[in-house]
Amino acid sequence: MPVPILKQGDVLIASIQAALSDRDLVEFRDDVATRVGSLRARGLIIDVTALDVLDSFATRTLRGIAYTAKLRGANTVVVGIQPDVAFAMVELGLSLEGIATALDLEEGLALLSQRSGQRGGRS
Amino acid sequence: MTELGPQASTQVLAREMGLDQQNVERRKRIVDLTSEDIARIATLRDVVADHVDEFTGVFFDYLVSLDEGRALFANRTVTERARALKRDHLLAMVEGRYDTEYAIKRLELALLYSKYELDLRVFLAAFHHLLKRIGQSVMRRGESAPLEAFEAFMSLKKVAFLDIGIVVDAIVFERERVIRTQQDAIRELSTPVLQIRERLLLLPIIGVIDTHRARLITESLLKAIRANRAKVVVMDITGVATIDSKVANHLIQTVTAAKLMGASVIVTGLSADVAQSLVALGIDLAKLNTVGDLQGGMEEAEALLGYRVTLTGERVAGASPLVG
Repeated sequence: MPVPILKQGDVLIASIQAALSDRDLVEFRDDVATRVGSLRARGLIIDVTALDVLDSFATRTLRGIAYTAKLRGANTVVVGIQPDVAFAMVELGLSLEGIATALDLEEGLALLSQRSGQRGGRS
Repeated sequence: MTELGPQASTQVLAREMGLDQQNVERRKRIVDLTSEDIARIATLRDVVADHVDEFTGVFFDYLVSLDEGRALFANRTVTERARALKRDHLLAMVEGRYDTEYAIKRLELALLYSKYELDLRVFLAAFHHLLKRIGQSVMRRGESAPLEAFEAFMSLKKVAFLDIGIVVDAIVFERERVIRTQQDAIRELSTPVLQIRERLLLLPIIGVIDTHRARLITESLLKAIRANRAKVVVMDITGVATIDSKVANHLIQTVTAAKLMGASVIVTGLSADVAQSLVALGIDLAKLNTVGDLQGGMEEAEALLGYRVTLTGERVAGASPLVG
């Protein structure tokens, strides 16, 4: 099942709706790499709210996606990591070092707009 | 437990204690109960059956004669039930079938003792008293062959010790259950997560952090971050007496997990001793954002969230410090 990537201003929003197979993840990564360039995005938000597990491959791929997007000129924020998922990741020693994380989509957008020097929605 | 019937609760207890067939066999091995013993015990059936009420009486009279044993007799139905169970027990002792079912039957009385906080010493003394009386009756009946009578009685004593083992284990297990529940309660109580400003949480940690507690702390913190949409968490460890590499690792895990949920954590209250011992141990807390005391941590957290606290110099008239 492919991950839909939506464009909102200069931010791309990818919302992962169901558990992804390793092949889906790789496709997703390729997709992001091309779309960031073609849509001239400055930010990328990956929403993992619906996921109840993030394994080592998914974590590594997310890091890869973030790095790829960075090279193409977009900052990545991973949003919506569930408490249980966060706990399991820490226990397994998986880290998203170097990637910004935020509570949910709204927070992620605020974080991105803060980074790109514009004023965020909150005063 | 209380809402279950006696049958169900003994079954539950047996399962929790691991009292299965294997366990019962092992217990029989420990007291060295052999088929010869069982054969000898069979010769005592008549003696016990004839005197069963007398023996039951001896046991409970002894209990009631002691202050420590009286709690069991405050309630008439309880006493009646205990007497009936004891009577069954005495008859079952010479029945010759010492299987799991037999062992589980013993638990009901053990639960009664445990519920009415019968002192173990008192129980053992009364049991000994009972055995003495049984011994007297057995010897009297077997006067012509005292050695055989003695052997048979000693075989019966093995069964008695098997039963004592089960009852004592059950009583201790029940007592430890209280300790376990209280431990859980203490742990739950001691990890509150408090919201002190919009999107700012305070997590005061007091006491010893072990692996189990660290997990609880992390779990409740992560849930609170989600529920309160927190952005900054101030974790105050003033009340943590000692920090070793294990505890430090737990703290780092908690902070990392919070970070994954988009909240940054400020750790405050590292005392001079703790800081020095961490340096001595060579533990790197560079990943943590540490601030000297809780006040400093709060100020930093407010700055992160964009708050500016100003002293107006005005006080709300008439507001008492408690209400205001």
